[in-house]
Amino acid sequence: MKMDRRWIARVAATLFAVALLYPFTALFAHIGPWQWGEDIRGPAMSSMRVSLLLTSYSMLIIVAIGTPVATYIAHCKMRERLLWQAVLLIPILLPPLALGILLSLAFGPYGAVGGWLEHFGIEMTNSATAFVSTQVYVGMGYYVLGAVAAFDAVPQMLQKQAALLGLTPWKVFLRVTLPLSRLGLAVALSIAWVRAFGEFGAVVITAYYPSGMPVQLWVNLQSFGLPAVMPLLMVFLAVALPLPWLVHVLAQRRHA
Amino acid sequence: MLKAHIVKKRREMTVDVSLELKRGDALGLFGASGAGKSTVLACIAGIEDADGGFAEVGDVQLFPPSLPLHRRRLGYLTQEPGLFPHLTVGENVRFGVPKEIAADGEQNQWIETLRDRLHLGPLWSAPASLISGGQARRVSLARMLARKPPLVLLDEPFAGLDRQLVRELIDDLIFWNQTMGFSMIAVDHQVEVLKRLCPQQAIVLERGKIVQQGTWDELYSAPATPLLRSLLAPI
Repeated sequence: MKMDRRWIARVAATLFAVALLYPFTALFAHIGPWQWGEDIRGPAMSSMRVSLLLTSYSMLIIVAIGTPVATYIAHCKMRERLLWQAVLLIPILLPPLALGILLSLAFGPYGAVGGWLEHFGIEMTNSATAFVSTQVYVGMGYYVLGAVAAFDAVPQMLQKQAALLGLTPWKVFLRVTLPLSRLGLAVALSIAWVRAFGEFGAVVITAYYPSGMPVQLWVNLQSFGLPAVMPLLMVFLAVALPLPWLVHVLAQRRHA
Repeated sequence: MLKAHIVKKRREMTVDVSLELKRGDALGLFGASGAGKSTVLACIAGIEDADGGFAEVGDVQLFPPSLPLHRRRLGYLTQEPGLFPHLTVGENVRFGVPKEIAADGEQNQWIETLRDRLHLGPLWSAPASLISGGQARRVSLARMLARKPPLVLLDEPFAGLDRQLVRELIDDLIFWNQTMGFSMIAVDHQVEVLKRLCPQQAIVLERGKIVQQGTWDELYSAPATPLLRSLLAPI
């Protein structure tokens, strides 16, 4: 009887997983032969290069700024910490299109910062800088919140013990906090990567050019239809998903 | 060597304790649960901030103003061994030894002495996350002593261990106390443990205040309070 119940639960969970993965069957849908001619392939490969390169820059900026911020928040008292978390949630909760409009206005030629940057020849619309800064805005909140959780998971007493053993706060961070939170940080970064890499709504407003993969997918859909989208979609999935997926699986295995 | 007056406000009481310890002395802090014994040690170590008073070890002022933990040069052992799970046993023991003196021959000799005396040789390359609780206590003791601290604070480091291991660890601590000459304050619920570890002197706390101090014989012959009489009585 007990066994039966377990099997019913297992079957139900399997059905749930099948439903969750069901959209992927669309990769085998009969939509006619996929198009991968030069007029599709050239822009597609270019968009992949743009996405990979610029998202990598975005991640470097996110880690460089987000890690110290997360360290600071992790050491804050509860009231201040809640305030910071509320601030970080704002770009996460904003609809991407709204974020894109706000960014293009704030950093555009008529915004205070945008006008100032333009004075130095830095274009904040339809440029690599615009692309990267939009991704940073999109991914930063995810990374910092994840990093705070990763730092929280390192026992305070271990860090104090390391300090009592003569390590300066910086060395405690490097030799204790960072190694013990590295998997959590990798998970936070992988979420930020997926979120930034796949961002369409905000990026299409601020940086239609240079076109990244999500924008190129939309362009292909509009211009050529589904058969021209599918090959790029396959490339998109192959590039965006495996690394973060692997990081998550490894993190789960470590905690198992 | 240690002079301290610790004031720490708790919700239910204020801990207000003065201590003085000479070099090489071993002092037992005794009392019921919640008497404030661990608070005194935590304030001296800097794990908690005192609300008043002062503490100095030799000519080093621990507070006020609060000296950063890494400059306090004291050993602090608690019930939790606090080993770094991403490191091996050997790396844990060497953790607090500054790089510039880690390669020093005398320092290496000292680490080897600790390793052999505490039977850590077979575990040396094992990940600290995979050793037993008793082994972890020995490693944390070696790690603390590797830095040769002038003052050692022990907050029930033997809780939950079998009597044989407790006896061994106490013997080791007494041995190092006599050979290295560090001063020691120990807190424990078990009076036998404290008597063995700190045979000369003890301080008894009740509700954050000292109610009696002296030798163990004095405590046994004339306990100052009914609670102390009860705590010293055989079960």
